[in-house]
Amino acid sequence: MNFAQRMSLATDNPVDALVRFEDVKKSYDGINFVVKDLNLDVFRGEFLTMLGPSGSGKTTTLMMLGGFEQPTLGHILLDGKPVERLPPEKRNIGFVFQNYALFPHMTVAENVAFPLRYRGITGAAAKEKVRQALGRVSLDALGDRRPAQLSGGQQQRVALARTLVFEPSLVLMDEPLGALDKQLRERMQIEIKQLQTSLGITMVYVTHDQSEALTMSDRIAVFHDGRIQQLADPKTLYDEPSNRFVASFIGENNTMPCTLLGREGGVAIARMADGTTLKAAGANVSGTGANISVSVRPENISLAGKGVRAGLNRFSGKARDVFFLGDHMRLSVEAFGGQLVTARIPARQARHFALGEDVVLECGISECRLLEA
Amino acid sequence: MTVAEIDRVNIFMAVRRAERPARRAALSLALPLIVFLVVAFVAPILYLLVTAVGNPETREVLPRTLEALQNWDGASTPDEPVYAALAADLKVAKDNSTAALLGKRLNYEISGMRSRVLATARMVEKLDTGPYKEKFLALNQDWGSPETWAIIKRNGGSLTPYYMLTALDLKQAPNGSVERVQGDQAIFLDVLGRTLFVAGLVTLFTLILGYPVAYVLTIAPKAIAGIMMLMVLLPLWTSLLVRTTAWVVLLQSDGIINDVLMALHLTGERVQLIFTRVGTVIAMTHIQLPFTILPIYSVMRSIPTTQLRAARSLGAPPSSAFWRIYAPQTLPGVVAGCLMTFILSLGYYITPALVGGPRDQMVSNFISTYINRDLNWGLAAGLGVVLLVVTLAIYLLFLRLVGADKIKLG
Amino acid sequence: MWLPSYATPSERIMRTLVVAFAVSVLLFLIAPLFIIVPLSFSKDPFFTLPVREYSLRWYADFFGNARWMNAIANSAVAAVMTTILATTLGTLAALGISRPDFPARRLIMALLISPMIVPIVIVAVGSYLFFGQFGLTNTRTGLVLAHTALATPFVVITVTATLSTYETNLTRAALSLGAPPSAAFFRVTLPNILPGVISGAIFAFATSFDEVVVALFMTAAEQRTLPVQMFSGIRDQINPTIMAAATLLLALSIILFAMLALLTRRRVK
Repeated sequence: MNFAQRMSLATDNPVDALVRFEDVKKSYDGINFVVKDLNLDVFRGEFLTMLGPSGSGKTTTLMMLGGFEQPTLGHILLDGKPVERLPPEKRNIGFVFQNYALFPHMTVAENVAFPLRYRGITGAAAKEKVRQALGRVSLDALGDRRPAQLSGGQQQRVALARTLVFEPSLVLMDEPLGALDKQLRERMQIEIKQLQTSLGITMVYVTHDQSEALTMSDRIAVFHDGRIQQLADPKTLYDEPSNRFVASFIGENNTMPCTLLGREGGVAIARMADGTTLKAAGANVSGTGANISVSVRPENISLAGKGVRAGLNRFSGKARDVFFLGDHMRLSVEAFGGQLVTARIPARQARHFALGEDVVLECGISECRLLEA
Repeated sequence: MTVAEIDRVNIFMAVRRAERPARRAALSLALPLIVFLVVAFVAPILYLLVTAVGNPETREVLPRTLEALQNWDGASTPDEPVYAALAADLKVAKDNSTAALLGKRLNYEISGMRSRVLATARMVEKLDTGPYKEKFLALNQDWGSPETWAIIKRNGGSLTPYYMLTALDLKQAPNGSVERVQGDQAIFLDVLGRTLFVAGLVTLFTLILGYPVAYVLTIAPKAIAGIMMLMVLLPLWTSLLVRTTAWVVLLQSDGIINDVLMALHLTGERVQLIFTRVGTVIAMTHIQLPFTILPIYSVMRSIPTTQLRAARSLGAPPSSAFWRIYAPQTLPGVVAGCLMTFILSLGYYITPALVGGPRDQMVSNFISTYINRDLNWGLAAGLGVVLLVVTLAIYLLFLRLVGADKIKLG
Repeated sequence: MWLPSYATPSERIMRTLVVAFAVSVLLFLIAPLFIIVPLSFSKDPFFTLPVREYSLRWYADFFGNARWMNAIANSAVAAVMTTILATTLGTLAALGISRPDFPARRLIMALLISPMIVPIVIVAVGSYLFFGQFGLTNTRTGLVLAHTALATPFVVITVTATLSTYETNLTRAALSLGAPPSAAFFRVTLPNILPGVISGAIFAFATSFDEVVVALFMTAAEQRTLPVQMFSGIRDQINPTIMAAATLLLALSIILFAMLALLTRRRVK
């Protein structure tokens, strides 16, 4: 049982869980499993992001929840009731698709009115709801346009309005901002997050963009190889990655192989490839032995000060690459007998480094984390 | 013009000037084909148009007569000079053996004229001097009829509406007014209507049969879809004549379809299928099916699967999602496929000729008959113009709705 | 694939019916073509299945008959000449049309495609009357000219389609590397668009080889092509030798089709 599963079982409270995946497995060919043994609770009102590279199983999971794929094994509970046999149109779940899937032969207003028809809302009542929904995404004036006449950002808003108009308690989004440029994407992230909070919607969001996940989510489930690698809030995920995959997938990390020698108090002593030792916070790694590594983020490594201070690791190496990036400088140093370690030096400490120059670096012990495999 | 306006015009001209060499280079590559098509394709069709309104016979054979008729009042029997001129013309015609041509041409508008002209030409050959009028009248009373002379005079022009009018079941009375042809002479509108009807029927059948095929092609697993596609494309590739031959064989009274019908006890006696409208429509539907399927398939393939998923997630049941979301989006393909099949069906010749009966012949078959059997080129050309106009009208519609650059092959 | 996994039971039934319907339509499409094959190998001179006894007598008839042999030769010569002419003219035109600077593209494309649209009888009669003025009816030249006009749209369409995926920068690179325009075309552009050109050539060949109506009008007994010979045969009295001819034409179509399929598959790769 991995960390994520322990997390989900620890918060075992059926009242709060709007969605529950129970031992869900999915295979298309009967041999390879795209989703392996998924257990996950989605709480009422939360913004949960499934983050992972393509092929990690996150989209398949979303499709199973939306009703477009059947789990091969296991159950999906919606409000405590199993829904595997329920066709999508009976689930009352909002779904925003990757390329919006706006109906090109209908106007914006007709698109938004579409779900109302199947909920018995017609005529003036439907008109009013459409007006409100378009108002909510600031598209009041564009009801008569066709989707093709809208910009990408506007299409995205129509997709949102069309989903929100029937007031689903659960909304699923499959990479909804992937087609937008960076600026627009960042604005839409904030808008979506605001809508979700103000309307109190439960949101399950799929993306491969980690900064998007960190910005918007209450909790993030990191998918890899059909499994949840870690399920946690953004800060925990960033500061305390539970394994090497999460450490390298979220933000940048220097991951350096080592052997665990033992522990001194709460601090682990690791021997690096060249025989030097580093101290690391490593409560989550038990026992001693090889096949582990120390990971430390570049922004937590700095140029060593004058005196030696407690709580810091100090190591030296030769400068290999230096890039000046405006607000900071990226300095790559060859240390521990051949390992490249990257440090992010604030601009005010930046100076000239000659290639091959000896550099002494330091990093906080609490920011060095011991990771398995 | 203000200075700014002049500047703008100058810039516009400069842009045009700068683009000119590139435009010329591009055009010069296409020029050989354009010139070729103008000579080998457009010119023959234009020649057909000219043939449809051309009227050389009377002008060339009866120049003196037409001149003499200039002063004729149009109501009475003409005087001796006209007959003398006609005699002179016919003598020359007899020598050049063009009298038969004239007779045939005038016979279209005055029945019996062919033999009358030939007999008269034989008569005048033996006459050396006039007066001619009474000899003409003695040979045939109708030479005194003003109607005969009115029609001869009318055909003195280099153009005639006769063939076009005939192709539309119209005729010009001797007094010049246009009226509808009555009775069993009125066949061409019927033929045109039949052609449109058969083409429409074939289009409808190919749509009904083809739409589900196109749909299944999009949902079948890749390998199976490939085989299915082969089954659509191979007939398209097979010679139209081979496919028609197959139907001629299948539809025989002692042929395979009748064998099967009898074996299944669907019918007690052998059904006449060959040389019938039913047989023609079946064979044409078979031949045209791929033309309807392919454009529909190509549009269906471009509809993202998320469209149906989105409809379902918004609450639409399967049938509603199909009819309200999917089907409307296939409309461009349906329009393209149906127009293409309709256009091509209008021009069918081989299949009706081999599979249809006398009552199933289309405009094309009549054109061929008038060229080969009746040697009435003018009427063949007139019918050709009617067929061409109808076809081009629908082609223009196709260009408006679909575009020439959307035509794909397989 | 056949069904989305979220299909409801009624959807499943509906889908099964649609697939069954489509499969029967496909059989309707393909079966008539292959009916003629066994009939051509039958010993009996009538068209019923099953075949009682197989023989090659109709093929012997076909190959032993000077008229059929002459017709095949005529068709082949006309088709080859048409192919060369149509492929050259069509490829050049496609190269021009595909340039961004081409003027009045829609109009000219509509003209170039129109031979596919105009009813074949009109082309035939027009050619018969017009070429007759220059003594070209009942000559091979007249037939090839008319067939070339009919075949060029296919070349234009296939080559234009290939050019739409051709990377223009390849030609630009060749020019920048010092190749004169003709070398750039023959050594860089042409090899890359060759599949499209060959597809067009196959289409052109098939168009001419299979064409009946224009050939009916434009040829006398001497230039009579295979399809015309077949057409007259069916008209007079259909006999099994025509089945043999039809089977051979079908085989040729399949060969050409397979060539085309190989070409397009390689292009995809």
